[in-house]
Amino acid sequence: MLDPIILAQILWTGIATSSPYVLLTAGFALTLKVTGLWNFAQAGLMAIAFYTMFFSLNVLAWPVPVAIGVALVLTGAVALAMEVWGLQVLRARKSGNLTFFIFTLILSEFVIYVITLVFGTEPQTLFKSILSPVAIIGNIAVSDWDKLAVVTAAAGLAALWLFMTRTREGQFLVAVSDNAKLAELYGISAQRAYRVVAVVAALFIVAAMYLVGSHGGIVPNSPMELVLTAVIATLLGGIGRVFAAAAAAVVLALIQSFSILVIASRWQNLLLYGFLFAAILLFPRGVRLPRLRLAMRR
Amino acid sequence: MEYLGTIGILIAIYIILAASYNLVIGYGGLATVAHPIFFAIGAYVSGLLAIHTTLPPPVSVLVGSGCAMLASLLLAASALRVSGDYLLIASLGFQLGLLQLIKNLAFTGGPGGLGGIPATIVGPSRTPVYLAIAVVLAIATVFAIRALVRGPYGRAITAMRDEELAFSALGRNAMSMKLVIFAIGCGIAGIAGGIYTFYFQYISPDQFEVLQSAAILTMVVLGGMGTAFGPVVGAVLLLAIPQAITFLQLPPSIMAPMQGIIFTLLVLVFLFLRPAGILGDTGRRRRSAGLT
Amino acid sequence: MSHVLRTEGLNKRFGGIVVCDDVNLTIAGGEILGLIGPNGAGKTSLFNLISGVLRPDSGTIRLNGKAVNGEPLYRRARLGVARTWQHMLLFRSMTVMENMLVAPRHYPGESILRVTVGRAGVRSAERTARERAHAILDRMALDGTADMPVTDLPFGQQKLIGLARALMNDGPLLLLDEPMAGVEGAAYETMQRVVRQEAESGRAICVVEHNVSFIRDLCSRAVFMINGRILQDGPVEELISSTTLTELYFGA
Ligand SMILES: Nc1ncnc2c1ncn2[C@@H]1O[C@H](COP(=O)(O)OP(=O)(O)OP(=O)(O)O)[C@@H](O)[C@H]1O
Ligand SMILES: [Mg+2]
Repeated sequence: MLDPIILAQILWTGIATSSPYVLLTAGFALTLKVTGLWNFAQAGLMAIAFYTMFFSLNVLAWPVPVAIGVALVLTGAVALAMEVWGLQVLRARKSGNLTFFIFTLILSEFVIYVITLVFGTEPQTLFKSILSPVAIIGNIAVSDWDKLAVVTAAAGLAALWLFMTRTREGQFLVAVSDNAKLAELYGISAQRAYRVVAVVAALFIVAAMYLVGSHGGIVPNSPMELVLTAVIATLLGGIGRVFAAAAAAVVLALIQSFSILVIASRWQNLLLYGFLFAAILLFPRGVRLPRLRLAMRR
Repeated sequence: MEYLGTIGILIAIYIILAASYNLVIGYGGLATVAHPIFFAIGAYVSGLLAIHTTLPPPVSVLVGSGCAMLASLLLAASALRVSGDYLLIASLGFQLGLLQLIKNLAFTGGPGGLGGIPATIVGPSRTPVYLAIAVVLAIATVFAIRALVRGPYGRAITAMRDEELAFSALGRNAMSMKLVIFAIGCGIAGIAGGIYTFYFQYISPDQFEVLQSAAILTMVVLGGMGTAFGPVVGAVLLLAIPQAITFLQLPPSIMAPMQGIIFTLLVLVFLFLRPAGILGDTGRRRRSAGLT
Repeated sequence: MSHVLRTEGLNKRFGGIVVCDDVNLTIAGGEILGLIGPNGAGKTSLFNLISGVLRPDSGTIRLNGKAVNGEPLYRRARLGVARTWQHMLLFRSMTVMENMLVAPRHYPGESILRVTVGRAGVRSAERTARERAHAILDRMALDGTADMPVTDLPFGQQKLIGLARALMNDGPLLLLDEPMAGVEGAAYETMQRVVRQEAESGRAICVVEHNVSFIRDLCSRAVFMINGRILQDGPVEELISSTTLTELYFGA
């Protein structure tokens, strides 16, 4: 028999664990929506964000807010630089998709190699201890990290939603994503929209990397796996649907968590890729809800 | 000598890989990153056949290549139905998913890799014989592809890349041509995998990761995408440069990232300064897909 | 009379835009039908439906009496639907001759099997195609350009190459989408002469054209289309002199 308390615990922990992925997926899917680009360079940005915080906290012994601030500035600056001196140049050249793909992927790898050279391949965490105080709330263990993660992700998504629907800048993003040429005719600069998206994505990345880095060890190559999770969630959520992609990230994490009950843990990663396979071969345009139910019954 | 022979075999195998990849993306214009997974399928299938059956090695290699072809058709048929751009992301997912499967299955050796592949040829002539086989196959691959793209078939491929709609409206079946090109390229990668398995007798899933995709891609981009000999130049350069740094005698913890930095920098520099590659034609009527 | 092309109750819409509204159209062999109408009337869309670029929402398209609705684009070309494009769509990295050589109805060069094991057959098919291409280019006074890159030719000649390429397909139906737009002088004369010759050889031809005098010179019959509907189908003179149609064309 399954104990409801255990189920509730798994549910809560699953949601908490998914929070950083939700943030990363939102940033990734937003970039895809507005710029039409599968921006694998975000892996490089994730690495920069994490190691900047790591260096500030552990080597320079700066306080946490300063470390986060420095990471924000640096990650945002790199994201902007990449947009202006990289992507913009390729766009002006009318480059094909493959070129953008190579550029973003190779740039990430370059960053990761440089970081490997500097920091080595040992797993690192932001704080000496990743144990977070736990409170028991209604029979469920809730750690401080859990609370921080869930609140950050929820706040991030809410802010993004408000930004996209309530501010002019955000509505410009939507206009550009719908039809960049048409938006330009109405005097909305696509270039500006792309820059705004780069900065917003960098914000989300720093927040997510703070959560990831205060919860477990990171090696220089970890961001590659993180960005792939974002890719999978984006595919499942349906390209162009930012919040559906974020929801898919939660669903994926929950499925993985609950699968502990039925399958061996070593298969869990496989499960993720099983979904990726299904998404690619069966639902290339994203999973709509009725279909998802169908897929799970099978 | 043995060492140089091994390097030679590796270079020949990568020439086969880069040349077949070039057929797919450079000439066919099919943007995929999953080439290493077809290399892997060839390697694993022929390795497993060598361990568990008494099939003659060439047959094992061919079966491996056939499996790579089938898998490639499965991927291309479902991805191209959506769009050409979608293939890129679908291929990435396909590669990662299949690798994950290999890592989790018991009979593939899991993350530790597949070892104990029987040595088909023993004795001092082993390396020279494999070197001869690999080099002959590499030369055959490069020239066969060159012959293919020079004739009427190549003309059709160029037309398809130039203006697919007009091409189809002239009575040409673009989809089947794409599938065939994809399957041939991936089948050749499968053969390369078979040779690799039989010579090195050990394969591990790490060898077929996205990093490997980047490496083969780099070879093609560097040499000149859509040129007959570009992939050869790229493969030789990219395998020779790391050998050159080994003389610096750096510790491995510095050596590995240094090599990575050199690769990635090379790609970035070429991407922005000479997108056509070393042998690529930069004229305005480039016949190859190239990187624009 | 047997019709080469017959469409029955053809409908097509893109969201709210109706591009084809219950279109019943017939063209006989040897006939040159003019298709006129304002911008956005759905003329190109109709060509796309007939040649198989688009699928109709409903209705039937018959070629020599046989329904071809289910046939994909490339198979319709093999069945004998040849067309040109408003924007030419030439293969820009190839020479004139190469453009011509991929265009025959049946091209063995696209089959990997035939280029590897059936080489003699491919060679002879290439020879035949080359001869045909030279003959067509000759007729258009373009034979000297055979080995030139298409993008090196002046615009009018590129338009002619678009037609020449379509003529490599010797099928019964020829669709010409604005062949005269931007064409002047000698190229104009050539275009007119070749289209007439093709009709005389028995092909059914449909021409979309904004150039009224071109339509008047070539066609005996024309249809007027607007918002996806055929408003009138009859003798050219009648259509051109109709004041309502002229208003619809130039007004609105
Ligand atoms: N693939 C498509 N998707 C959506 N709308 C389309 C598509 N193709 C055409 N349209 C629309 O259908 C309408 C008819 O277009 P079409 O090109 O057939 O007109 P046309 O008569 O050829 O005009 P023109 O004289 O300008 O060439 C236009 O409003 C066009 O925007
Ligand atoms: Mg038109």
